[in-house]
This record gives sequence, structure tokens and C-alpha cells, in this order.
Amino acid sequence: MTNRIVVTGMGIITGLGIGKTATLHALLQKRSAIGEVKYLQTIHKEIPASEVPLTNEQMYQLLTVEESQICTRTALLGRIALREALEEASIYTKRPKRMAFISGTTVGGMDKSEQYYRHFLSDNTRNPYIEAHDCGATTELIAKEYKGDFDMMTTISTACSSAANAIILGANLIKTGRQDAVVAGGSECLSKFHFNGFNALMILDKQACKPFDAERAGLNLGEGAAFIVIESEQSAKERNVVPICRLSGYANTCDAYHQTASSPNGEGAFLAMKKALEQSNLHPHDIDYINAHGTGTPNNDETEGIAIMRIFGDNIPCVSSTKSFTGHTTSAAGGVESVISMLALQHNFIPVNLNFSQPMKELSFVPAMQSKTTRQLKHVLTNSFGFGGNNSSCIFSQTEL
Amino acid sequence: MMHIYLYSAGHISNQNPLSDEWFTEPIIYNKRYTRSLEPDFSAYIPPALSRRMGKALKRALVTALHVVRQTGIDKPDAIITGTGLGCVENTEKFLTAMLDNNEQLLPPTCFMQSTHNTISSQIAVYLKCNTYNSTYSHRGTSFDSALFDACMQFELGEISTALVGGHDELTPDYFRLLDKISYWKEGEISEKILREGNTEGSFAGECSVSFMLGNKSRRDALCEIKNVELLYNPSERQLSQAIQDILQSNRLRLQDIDMMLAGINGDKDNDSIYKDLHTAFFPDKPLLWYKHIFGEAYTTSGLGLYVAATILQKASLPRHLVYNVGAKTSRFNNILLCNHFRNKDYSLILLSSCLD
Repeated sequence: MTNRIVVTGMGIITGLGIGKTATLHALLQKRSAIGEVKYLQTIHKEIPASEVPLTNEQMYQLLTVEESQICTRTALLGRIALREALEEASIYTKRPKRMAFISGTTVGGMDKSEQYYRHFLSDNTRNPYIEAHDCGATTELIAKEYKGDFDMMTTISTACSSAANAIILGANLIKTGRQDAVVAGGSECLSKFHFNGFNALMILDKQACKPFDAERAGLNLGEGAAFIVIESEQSAKERNVVPICRLSGYANTCDAYHQTASSPNGEGAFLAMKKALEQSNLHPHDIDYINAHGTGTPNNDETEGIAIMRIFGDNIPCVSSTKSFTGHTTSAAGGVESVISMLALQHNFIPVNLNFSQPMKELSFVPAMQSKTTRQLKHVLTNSFGFGGNNSSCIFSQTEL
Repeated sequence: MMHIYLYSAGHISNQNPLSDEWFTEPIIYNKRYTRSLEPDFSAYIPPALSRRMGKALKRALVTALHVVRQTGIDKPDAIITGTGLGCVENTEKFLTAMLDNNEQLLPPTCFMQSTHNTISSQIAVYLKCNTYNSTYSHRGTSFDSALFDACMQFELGEISTALVGGHDELTPDYFRLLDKISYWKEGEISEKILREGNTEGSFAGECSVSFMLGNKSRRDALCEIKNVELLYNPSERQLSQAIQDILQSNRLRLQDIDMMLAGINGDKDNDSIYKDLHTAFFPDKPLLWYKHIFGEAYTTSGLGLYVAATILQKASLPRHLVYNVGAKTSRFNNILLCNHFRNKDYSLILLSSCLD
């Protein structure tokens, strides 16, 4: 690859807390954020989720945004993550020459729309929120956090792989020389709309989710946002910033099987991992850790597990689903789990898979339970799969390799 | 050198579906809210299947299958969709049920088909296509983003064919919502009112348009796509520079651009920038518009691409597409398309004729 792509900043907010440090501590202390729903106004209190422990008002204060400014919860979460990513990448100290912003979301401003929908239809009291509803509006609201102008902006909505595909688009923008740096990721708050949607599909576990466990009974939803700054190695050099790691491979494929179920042999997942490996010029045995999509639904974990077995054969690396910590942060998941994968690479540990006890008979492997590793992590792979079979994989590698 | 050809286009809009009758005899509306004229869906999809689909998905699948049939390319290397609002009908059904039934006994199918990526992924399921699949939802440049991504995939050598679409349905409720925030003009619409553009808003349309693109020359190709650029909040200087860069990278001079096609829609804040650009760069060339026929939807810029490609293919310019009355051209080599949303999100597209 001529234009090597490096990561120079990352920002994250989930139920585990605000920022990378809080996230890292929770992962090492094996402290999950999944619990009783407190902030989302739903009647389904019996279903657990992972919420960011802040009200919207608290986020306004944290961001020092005037309360008169229209902002949805997805946009507030996004701004907090964006701020951290921009700071770490020293964007304000020395701006990359050309810089784009690519964000992924599906819920967008639905948290406000569902709250004010009756008003939208019957009176004029909540009209400003009509304009804040769509995905693109959400991206523009998040971008307000940056005190400058991005050269390009767009929004990806491929459901639960949105943020991963934002990173992939960003990488291609750099590879083709269109941009020097791209801030990419995604944001999604909990909404009653998708909480009830997943509930209607009967894929929510009433207890803490158990990814890759024989007794797994569904997923837990979570909310959060994560953005990473990727740039050409050249740009990082010119700006004198030290890369965290490298984005060495990525791929987007489609399972093309069913809107909400994956194919029995995990074809889309298999192709995504295979193509990402090919692009990075790595062999399966080079991968030290897989941050799986691992939702905890019977269907996903079986088919993703089969796809992993097809690729890695007898040499399956450590695999875990950190959704047992953060819940499934849907459109943000690709960003959240990229950051978690890079924290693993940076601090040389394996983010464990919580709540596992019974191996699945369909799989030859069990998920990782131990953070400590004797191996120096060099390459980590993260999977993000969405409704409709929008499957994407990204590989992050140590910079010097 | 890389080439990207536009092989085929198909639309469902307020004009006669899957036809280019609008080119010679456009249907003229004077309403604020126009909906799509639908074709016989059963000619493309089994009724049992189409009954389960929302309007946006059904229309998208049919326009996609139309270009698949036209070109014989049934396994494109990429399927990329732009949609500003996604599958609104299903979203509203699920939202309303949730509010009415207090979060109980909800229809899972409506939720399943409410996500924006339903369109791209259901086309992939239908065509059994495991290839690159993505969905853009970025307001007025949703379609432009999808086209941009496709062009980048060609450039990277990842693909040799792509199915790209722009799809938006507008339900009566969403029309009302957008009406409250001045998206639509008051009273009757006429070409005169739109042309004058003295007031806020435009008139509403719906859009479903699909294209098959490929990197090999074909005799039936409509035109060649030379450039797609996306810019955010550019200054006048940056916008001028971007136009000059596009020309330069294609070894064209200003006078080689025969027409400029713009997203003029009758909204006073929307239209002025197009007129300024036209005056600055191509004052004696035809300035083309199309939204006065098709109406405004987040992805109407996809219909703009279709209109411009059709002009190049036919090497003919109907008078009703010319905004600056009286302007003519005898050459049909290059068209520059300019689209913006709220003066923030911009796209510039350069098309060239592939007639000998």
C-alpha cells in the first residue's frame, strides 16, 4: 500500500464512561455497563441495556453548549466523542491540509421525534426538531463541535455496521488522495423506537447478554459514540503526531440472505474477514485478537463463529464480544469496537467476553476469558455486521509493522 | 486511463415511470405535493413479495431490476444507495403503533423494513449479490455521496460495475412536517413562480432512480462520468477552485462546458448560488433545471444526473429544461452538474458524451 493509513486520535463514550481511560479501566476490571434502564422513557423496564450515565442536560453542560441550541441525544454523544478524538490527534494545534468528517447513524434524531411526534403533527411547539430528525442533520449537529470547517462531510446508514463503513469510506478517501485526514465513526443513542423494534423481533435478552454461550438468549442494546482520526502516514509525519496504530485492512461485503437473519455458513462475514485479510497482506495466523460482532443472538453468534472457523481453521485467535460490556451500540458499534480493539493493541491485553459458561456445540472455540496475554498483540480484527447483511471488517496493526 | 460509463437509468417519479416521456412531454403539475406515478410492479416482482414491501423499497427494487434487465448485469460489483429519509412509510407505521399501543404488540416487519439500508440490502438479497453494499443518508447530497463512493471504488480498481440509486418516498405526514418548516411554497405552483424564485420553499416530489455503471465502453451507454466531487461549506473561492480543478484534471477549458445543470427549485435562498456560478463561469451557455418538473426530494439530484445523461445521449436539448430562456447550444459534449443543500453540502459532477 503506497498511502499507509494511520490512526492518530480516538474518542469514545459508552455506558462504560466518558473517554478512553474510563473505557480501558472498565474493560480491565471486567465491569459491564449493562443494567436496568434509567434514562430511556420506556415501559419495558424488565429489559436491561447499557446507557451513558448522563442526562441530556448534563451533556449540554459538559460540552458547554447553550441549552437553546437544538441537539439530539445522538448528536450530544457524538460531540463528546468527537471532541476527544480531535484533541488526541492535535487537530487544533496543526490542522491536516484536507480533512473530512464521515459519521454513521440510523436512529439520528429519533429520540426527539418519538417524544414530540404528536406535536409535529398537531401544533408548532416542537418544529425545530423536525429538521433535526434525519441522519444527515445528526452529522451536521455533531460537526458543530469542531471549531473549523471540514472539507467534506457525509453520513452512512448501514444499520449496525454504519460506523465501520464510515471508517472504510474515510480510508478510501485517503488512499485515493482525496483527503489527508478523515474523522470517522458513528453515534447512536437509545430510542424507544429501536428498543421496541428489537423487542418486537424478540432478540433482546431479559438478562445480561451471553455472547458465544450455548445458552445465549439475545442481545442487550447500548448507546454510545466513537470517532477515530485516520490520516495518511505522510500527513501524520508533516503534522508531527505519533500514530497510535495503522488501519491495515478493511472490507465491506453483503450476506445477501435475509433482512434480519444471517446465512447458515456466515458467507457475508466470511467474505468480509477474508477480503480484509487479503487487503492487509496478512495471513489468518497473524491475527492476535478478534473483536467479534458477537451480539449474543442465537443466529449471529453461530454464523459468525462458523465464519471465523472457516477462515482461521485450527488456529483461532482470542475472540471476544465486548457487547457484554457496552451492549450493542448499533450504528456506533463499529467505532466503539474499533477503539476497544486499538486499546487492546496499545495496552496489550485481551478484552474479555463476559457471562460465558457453556461452550456452543457448533463451534470449535470458546471466547476469551482472560485479559492477560503472553503474546505481543500485533494485529487485531474487528467485525461489524448490520441488518440486511451489511458486513464489514477492519484490521488494526502496530504502526512499525 | 480509467473510464466510468453510465449504461442505463430507470426512474419512478411524478413523471411517467420507466420512460423518458418527460423529455418531450413532461407532465406539468400545479400542486405543492406530487407523488410518484407507479408502474405495473408485477412486471418485475411477484405480487406476494411486493405486497410485503413499503413504497420506497418496491420502487427502488423495480428501478434497480429495470437497469439490470436493460444491461444484463445481474451481479453488479457494488450496490450503493442514497436516501435522505429512508423507508418513511414503515418508520411511521412502527412509530405510530408504538405511540398508540403504548409500546405493546408491535409489528416487527415494519421495524425490519424501516432502516435506511433496507433498500440496498434487499436489492442484494434479490440479486444474491455478496459484493460491496452501502447506504448514504446525508440530506440533499445522499445520492451524490452514493455516486461519489461508486466512482472511488472504480478508481481503486475494486469494481467494474455498480448499481447506484437515489430513493425517497414522501408520505402525507412527512409532507406536512416539512411544510411546517418552510420546505414547500404556499398556494399553487407554476413554472413562473418557480422561475422567479422570490419566496421560500419549493414543491414536493418523490424520487426513485437507479443507474448501472461500468468501466467498459458499451454502445448503449448514455454518457461518461468524468468527475464527482463533494465539498462541505466551501467559500466562493474554494468552489471556483473546485470547478477549475475538475476542468483541469479532464484537460478541458471553460468553453468546453456546453451546459450547466443546477438544482434550481424556486426557493430564494437555494437558487441564487446557482445563478451566481452560472454568471461567473458560463454566462452564455444554457443553465438547465429539472426540479421544476420533478419536484424536490432529498435525492432528486439523482434525477438531475438522469436528465443530464439523457440530454447527452440524445444530443438534444428540449426548451423546457432551459432556465435562462433563449439560451441554446449546438454542442453536446460536456455538462457540469451542480447541486447543493442549504449552501452547505455541495456536489459537482462532470458528464461527457460518449457518442462518436
